[in-house]
Amino acid sequence: MQLSIQNLSKTYSNGVKALNDVSLNIPTGMFGLLGPNGAGKSTLMRTIATLQDADSGSIMLDELNVMENPQAIRERLGYLPQDFGLYPKISAEVMLDHIAQMKGVGNRAERKELVNSLLEKVNLYDHRKKALGTYSGGMRQRFGIAQALAGNPNLIIVDEPTAGLDPTERNRFYNLLSEIGENTIIILSTHIVEDVSTLCSNMAIICNGEVLMQGKPTDGLQLLQHNIFAKIIKKDELEAHKLKYKVISTKLKEGNLALRVEADSNPGNGFEQVEPNLEDVYFSHISKKVDPITL
Amino acid sequence: MLNIFIFELRYRFSRPATYMYFGILLLVSLLLFASGSTPATEKVFHNAPITIANLMLVVSLFGILIASAVMGVPMYRDIEHKTGTFLFSLPISKNAYFMGRFWGSFVTLLFISLGVVIGIYLGTIIGAATGWTPAERYGPNLFMNYFHPWITLVVPNLWFFSTLFFALIIFTKNIKAIYSGGIIVFIIYLLTNFLSNDLDNKQLVQILDPIGLNSFIIQVEYLTPFEQNSYRVDISGNLLINRILWISIGFFLFIASYLRFSFKYFFQATSKKPKAETVENFTSTTLLKKVSTSFSNIYQRRSLITLSKLEIKNVLKDSYFRAILLGGLVFLVIDFWIGSTIYSVPNQPSTSFLMQFKGYDYVVFVFIILVFFGGETLHRDKSSGYSSISDTFPIKDGVVIASKFLGMATICLLLASLPIIVGLVVQTLKGYYNYDIGVYLVDSFLISFPDYLQMLMLVFAVHLIVNNKFAGHAVSIGIWLVMIVLRDFADFNFNLFFFSYKPGYLWSDLNGLGHFGAPLLWFNLYWTAFGVFLILFFSLFYARGSDINFRKRLQQGKGRLKNSTAILSYVLLFTSIALGGYIFKTVVYTNGYITSTEAEKRQADYEKQLKKYEFIAQPKIVSVKVDAEIFPKKRDAFSKVLVEMVNKTTEPIDSLHLNFSGATFFHALYNKDTLDYRFPLSYDKPKFQIFGKKEEKPWYKIYALPKTLMPGDTLELELHSALTNQGFANSGYSREIVYNGTFIGQSMPSIGYSSGSELSSDEKRKKYDLPEKIDDLPPHDDPYGMRTMLFNDDADLVTFEATVGTSSDQIAIAPGYLQKEWTEGDRRYFHYVQDSKIDLFYNLVSADYAVYSDKAKVPNGSDVNIEIFHLASHDYNLDRFSAAFKDGIEYFSTVYGPYQFRQMRLLEFPRYANFAQSFPNTVPYSEGFGWIADFSDPDDFDYAYFVTAHELAHQWWGHQVVPNSTRGANLISESLAEYTALILSERKYGKANMKSFLEDELDGYLRGRAFESKKENVFIDCNRSYQWYRKGSLILYGLRDFIGDSSMNKAIRGFRDEFAHKETPPFAGSHDLYRHFELVTPDSLKYYLEDTWKKITLYENRAITASAKKLNDNLYEVTLNISSQKLYADSTGQESPADYDGDYMDIGIFAAQDKDEQGRTRTNPLYLEKHKIQPGEHTITLTVKQEPITAGIDPLNKLIDRRKDDNTVDVEIID
Repeated sequence: MQLSIQNLSKTYSNGVKALNDVSLNIPTGMFGLLGPNGAGKSTLMRTIATLQDADSGSIMLDELNVMENPQAIRERLGYLPQDFGLYPKISAEVMLDHIAQMKGVGNRAERKELVNSLLEKVNLYDHRKKALGTYSGGMRQRFGIAQALAGNPNLIIVDEPTAGLDPTERNRFYNLLSEIGENTIIILSTHIVEDVSTLCSNMAIICNGEVLMQGKPTDGLQLLQHNIFAKIIKKDELEAHKLKYKVISTKLKEGNLALRVEADSNPGNGFEQVEPNLEDVYFSHISKKVDPITL
Repeated sequence: MLNIFIFELRYRFSRPATYMYFGILLLVSLLLFASGSTPATEKVFHNAPITIANLMLVVSLFGILIASAVMGVPMYRDIEHKTGTFLFSLPISKNAYFMGRFWGSFVTLLFISLGVVIGIYLGTIIGAATGWTPAERYGPNLFMNYFHPWITLVVPNLWFFSTLFFALIIFTKNIKAIYSGGIIVFIIYLLTNFLSNDLDNKQLVQILDPIGLNSFIIQVEYLTPFEQNSYRVDISGNLLINRILWISIGFFLFIASYLRFSFKYFFQATSKKPKAETVENFTSTTLLKKVSTSFSNIYQRRSLITLSKLEIKNVLKDSYFRAILLGGLVFLVIDFWIGSTIYSVPNQPSTSFLMQFKGYDYVVFVFIILVFFGGETLHRDKSSGYSSISDTFPIKDGVVIASKFLGMATICLLLASLPIIVGLVVQTLKGYYNYDIGVYLVDSFLISFPDYLQMLMLVFAVHLIVNNKFAGHAVSIGIWLVMIVLRDFADFNFNLFFFSYKPGYLWSDLNGLGHFGAPLLWFNLYWTAFGVFLILFFSLFYARGSDINFRKRLQQGKGRLKNSTAILSYVLLFTSIALGGYIFKTVVYTNGYITSTEAEKRQADYEKQLKKYEFIAQPKIVSVKVDAEIFPKKRDAFSKVLVEMVNKTTEPIDSLHLNFSGATFFHALYNKDTLDYRFPLSYDKPKFQIFGKKEEKPWYKIYALPKTLMPGDTLELELHSALTNQGFANSGYSREIVYNGTFIGQSMPSIGYSSGSELSSDEKRKKYDLPEKIDDLPPHDDPYGMRTMLFNDDADLVTFEATVGTSSDQIAIAPGYLQKEWTEGDRRYFHYVQDSKIDLFYNLVSADYAVYSDKAKVPNGSDVNIEIFHLASHDYNLDRFSAAFKDGIEYFSTVYGPYQFRQMRLLEFPRYANFAQSFPNTVPYSEGFGWIADFSDPDDFDYAYFVTAHELAHQWWGHQVVPNSTRGANLISESLAEYTALILSERKYGKANMKSFLEDELDGYLRGRAFESKKENVFIDCNRSYQWYRKGSLILYGLRDFIGDSSMNKAIRGFRDEFAHKETPPFAGSHDLYRHFELVTPDSLKYYLEDTWKKITLYENRAITASAKKLNDNLYEVTLNISSQKLYADSTGQESPADYDGDYMDIGIFAAQDKDEQGRTRTNPLYLEKHKIQPGEHTITLTVKQEPITAGIDPLNKLIDRRKDDNTVDVEIID
């Protein structure tokens, strides 16, 4: 099974170009979609999730054209949107049972079991009788994850799933995703590199509606092997460094700036070669589009 | 503080909403006043001070909505935008913030309210200038007429609303609390509205109404046209208390909110922290199991059900739904419990009566629920954000919409069922076990339920196309407002064009749903088909997902115009057009629908074209033989009437004018041959007859007589006429011939032109260039009037017999003695003969009756048969009807003259009309007028007895003495009947029991003259029902109090003896009766007779203080301060003080009330004597032998006094 996106473009009525000729091939397994806020990740995901149409291009799930046949996609879809709400007066248990039914789980007993185990997995079992309106942000997000996994989805799209989760819950979420069987495409959008590095076998980086990179995380790392150099500088030295080097990221470290640059060879001047990490891959790509400091 | 105040104002005045509210108020008031759509009667200016004040108050009812938006929002804005947190850091004091926000918003609200003031002003200018409304309908525009009601009525209302909504926001920090607050104010208003139906509650209502609308109406209800034009409302008494009360409550709320308010409190994050989560380090080791899924058709069907269920849950769990439903339920219980009362007497809770009451208040709540929750449901997913999940579910669009609709349809079902439950509970609690389940089921599920569904369908269609919740609400309400305005103000009433409107209906125990069933069924099919079309069609424009805009939906919809949903919608559209086509045909063509303007125009045409025939010589009928066939199940009746006519004039007659507008057709036959006729009227083609003009029904025919009828000649004709019902009319009404309970008042044509069919409103007459019509009847000495009988000019007295056929299960009745009864096949026939001459005034009645028989004895020892024909289950008050007949026949025969018949009959007919009518020895009496009244309270006024006595009295007053056709003559019939029935009731129930009746009569008289649209005549020239019923009974009862029973009886007996059974003119007029009263009235009291009959007289009597000193053990000296003034009013209601040296009136002192042996309240006068009281203030000292409780002047309200409540005061005991 493979999801292939060809030349997808979308411009909103307010003139914002959200997707610009995006082409991606997404195989089964976990696929990480990395990109800064406003990169077009959510537009892309909503388009795959049949919530909106693109202006041009196509999305094919194997032989299935998503835009022409939304119904067939919806039958196998699990989707966690970035922003969502729930019926405030309904309890989690009833709501999830209802959603499972919407996802085609027709057998009542089977559904009940599914609901219970999902609620257990996201650690909401003890709160299952509570009305959703009383849930905190984190609990709601966890419920969102549970509903996305309900049924038999083999195309799971989770948009910023870890937003609002504390570290424990995030771990629990990683575990949960890793349990999902094979032959399933899971697309996970995030701006947190760790999410991708922990989970994904494939990834893409998009920014300003364009795909900057796609492939395996290791491929990205390979490309940068030997090319990342780090140095600690004073804040006021930044401008000068930006002019001289291809700065891909800065981090505050004990009041000074930890600078990482990309270069073919060690530029000296106090830079030291470091082992590239996925963050470097990410910043390396998006720094072509936007000023990393403003990130 | 000033800064915030100015900031608030600046903000407000930069918002379009402020101007929009202002503009709406301005436009609405402008239109109402420019088009002349005010409650002002014809002699009251549209801009009379009272009319202006009235409208301002009505608008302030809607002001609740605006006030909630304007006052609720400013503080909430700060919570919502979280600006509150910044305010902490700014150097603003609590005081400055609170006051600035409040007063800024309040001033804005005051500004908005000026929209009404300016709108009214402009309306009067524009209305007069454009000629939209005749300029003479506007009086002078005085500044104070606008300013006074605004400052005294509108501003206090706005103050109360503002403080209320401000307080609600501060105390709850929840914008939704505002809605509840608004609904509660509205509920209190509705409650006072409801209470005001009963005279006894007026004081309470005046004080309680938070809007002051009922208080105002009660305050001004007796103001005559002149006074409404000349005076501003008097803010005094209870109205003043009302204003002070609600302003004070406002102050209380204002202070309470101020004390409660602090930045810290108000802007604290309110989100309740969920309890610390118990983080169990529980990690499930089991993998998620694979589940089986299926997306077949079963899946869609099952989803439809679960989605609907969830939707129902969502609505049922909504606290606002519960609050509104609770409001509806409260009114349902109250309305069912009390129902509608007559003379404050309730009815038995019969199911068919109960079902009517849900249309009073409950339906308003149903409407609110359907409009708001219909929209809420459709937008729930989007507005809650759930749609970003649910829109990706593999359920079809149709299933989504259908589930929302099914969910709300279930709510409709619930709303339709609630009255059944409440009804059953109320009936059971009242000990009424005659549950009519059929009525419950049909009314709730076949009538109300489709009605609610249709309402819902329109709401859905609106929201599907508008796709914005608030705009959708506004459009839905707007559509209904437009329909209501068009129907109520613009007189459009063609039901087919008003969504979900149907002909009205009324359940009757006698006739069930009767003939209303068919039109309801057709209209319900028609509107349901159309409603489903609307939903299906507009669902094509439904789009899910994000990034949806109107253009896109339109595009998408266009793409779907040929899919199966679209095709189904076209099928339904065509179905509804076909159904509508049938309805159109039956309403417009078969039943000849014309608009109300066309009806007016036709009245004018009638007068213009035929008035010339009004006084032409026509023969009079002397003998009538009716041969009628009634077919109740088909709702048809045919009659052949053999009439003998005589030319009683001095001129030869060569043509006969016959008219019968109620008949399907009629013919006159001479010697078995149909006579040729001419239809002299030409009318415009009815506007609605767009598929060709239907031939006009020739309802007025001029026949050339076969031979000229010379003076004294007789002519025998057979008059054939048909009363048939085919299909149904726009109103669905047509009450005469029904399945069970036919009551035909006219079954033969009448002769000549009738001025009663002319337009009577002078404003309308002017529009059609007709002269003013000041009085309907000629003066008392008019020769034509004196020789003509009042109730018809076709005949004097006639001989009468009738053969009436009906279906075999029914009894048919006509005046006369039953000679024979027989059956032919499935028909049953009755032959009645009247062996003495009667007025030409007969009726035909047919129903499935049970018969109750009794006998009365008249003074000469013979018996009079009493028969009461009634629905078997309506046996509650038979003894009261029968007692009235017995007591009346015996007493009236003794004092007024012998009863002329050997029988007297009472016939129940369905409650489609609420009256009783007295034909010779035959009284049809409406089902709703006492048959199921519940007289269990001994203090109740037994109106069943009274009304029966009144109708019986007509056998003397109306039948023995037939009034002539001059001004005021009808008082002979109605005032005497009312008076003699009152005397009979007093003999049975005692003086004290008459008090509530007399109060009601006084109220009716004062109200009647306040609504007078032409001029108020003096009693002797009376021309209105409020005069001959209401004033008549009051002044005759008053006269009796002065001159005593025997003098009264002597005068009435003398009058009766002079005119009874008189066959030759002149017939009796009002001056003849007056003459007899004059004879028995001593000179010292002549002033009273003259004041009441020949002048319009009112008293302003008032008790100021009363105190008593205890002289010894049981002797008290009472000092009473009173004031008295007699006033004369002219015909417009302008009063001037009378110049007189004192009138006789009661001074009374009373001990505590107690109960007599029948449990009736008894008043215990310690002193009650006539004093001659001069105008002005007086002190009277009297000694009584028991402890006095109340004292006063004219304490029993025998004189006409607009403020009857201030005639007595409590006595203060001084040691």
